[in-house]
Amino acid sequence: MNGGDGMPEGPEEFADAVLEEELRQAAVVLDPVPAELLQVALEAFALHDLDARLAELTFDSLVDALPVRGAVDAPRMLTFRAGGTTVDVEVTEDGLIGQLLPPRPARIEVLGGPQATRPLTVDPLGRFTSDTPPSGPFALRLRTGAEVIVTEWLRA
Amino acid sequence: MVQSAVDGDAAAWKALVEGMSPLVWSVVRAHRLSDADGHEVFQTTWFRFAQHLGRIREPDKAGAWLASTARHECLKVLKGLARLTLTDDPRVLDRASEDRTPEETLIDSEEEADRAERVRRLWQELDGLGERCRQLLRVLMASPPPSYGEISAALGIAVGSIGPLRQRCLRRLRARMNARGAV
Repeated sequence: MNGGDGMPEGPEEFADAVLEEELRQAAVVLDPVPAELLQVALEAFALHDLDARLAELTFDSLVDALPVRGAVDAPRMLTFRAGGTTVDVEVTEDGLIGQLLPPRPARIEVLGGPQATRPLTVDPLGRFTSDTPPSGPFALRLRTGAEVIVTEWLRA
Repeated sequence: MVQSAVDGDAAAWKALVEGMSPLVWSVVRAHRLSDADGHEVFQTTWFRFAQHLGRIREPDKAGAWLASTARHECLKVLKGLARLTLTDDPRVLDRASEDRTPEETLIDSEEEADRAERVRRLWQELDGLGERCRQLLRVLMASPPPSYGEISAALGIAVGSIGPLRQRCLRRLRARMNARGAV
C-alpha cells in the first residue's frame, strides 16, 4: 500500500492494511485540512514569482544562536542572502528593523500573504524600520535599481 | 504537475494543493501544535513552496520537500515555545479540529453511529500509543497515502525504519482496540 511494501502477504499484514485505511478514513472525518487553509494555499500561487531573486534564510537566531542565559525575550535575528546581497532583520515585539547590505537605497514592503503588503520606511543607506511586528508568516520584497529580491517566507 | 505549475498553470497548482495539503496538515498535527501555530506553519509551508516553485531540484519529490519544510517550521515553533516557557502547554490544546460536521452527519442510523463510535475510539487510542507511534500513524494516514520518502521527510526518520515501525504501531493499536472490546 505504501512506497516500501507491496501487497499484504498474510492475514496479519492484511489486517494492518485494513486498520491503516480505517485510520485514513478517520482522519478525513475527524481531522480534515481546514477549508480556510486550503483556500489560502490555493491563493498562494500568486506568490510564485520567477523574476524575483530569492534571498535564502542563512541565519535564524531561533535555530542557530546559543541560548543566552536570562535573555528570555531576546529579539529574533534573521539573515537572508541572495548572491552578494545580505538582508539583516531583527524582529521584536515592537516591530522590525533591518538593513540591506551593501548599503543602498531601496523600496521595501512586508508581505503578509498573497494579498497583504505594507511599505516600510527606508533610509538612503537601506536601513528600514516598521513599528508593526509581523503577525504570522511574512516575507520582505526589496526593489533596488532594476532588481527585485524576496526573502524566504517564514513565521515571525 | 510541478512543472506545469511553474509554467503558470493554475489548475496544476490546485491539483498540487489538493493532493499534498493532507500530508502537510498531518505533519502539523503530528507535532501537536496549537491551532494558531499549526495554521501558520501550514501557510508558511505553502507560501515557501510557491516561492521555490521552479527552483526545486527534484520536482517529483515535491511531497518530501513540503513535508520536510513543514517539519522544520514545526520544530521552530516548538523551540520558540520552549524558550518562552509559556504556561499554556500546546499539548493541552491538542484535539481533533473543531470542524466536526462530517462526523455528525454520519450519525443518522444505528449502524452509522456504531461506526462513528469506533472511529472516535480509534482516534482516542492513538494518544495512548506513545509519541513515536502517534506521530508515525498521523502522517501515515494522510490521503492519498504518503510514500516512505515523504514520511521520512515529515518525521526525520530513516526510510528503512518506517516499515517495521508501522507494523509495530498498527499492531499495538489493534491490540488496544481489542482489549477494549471494540471489534
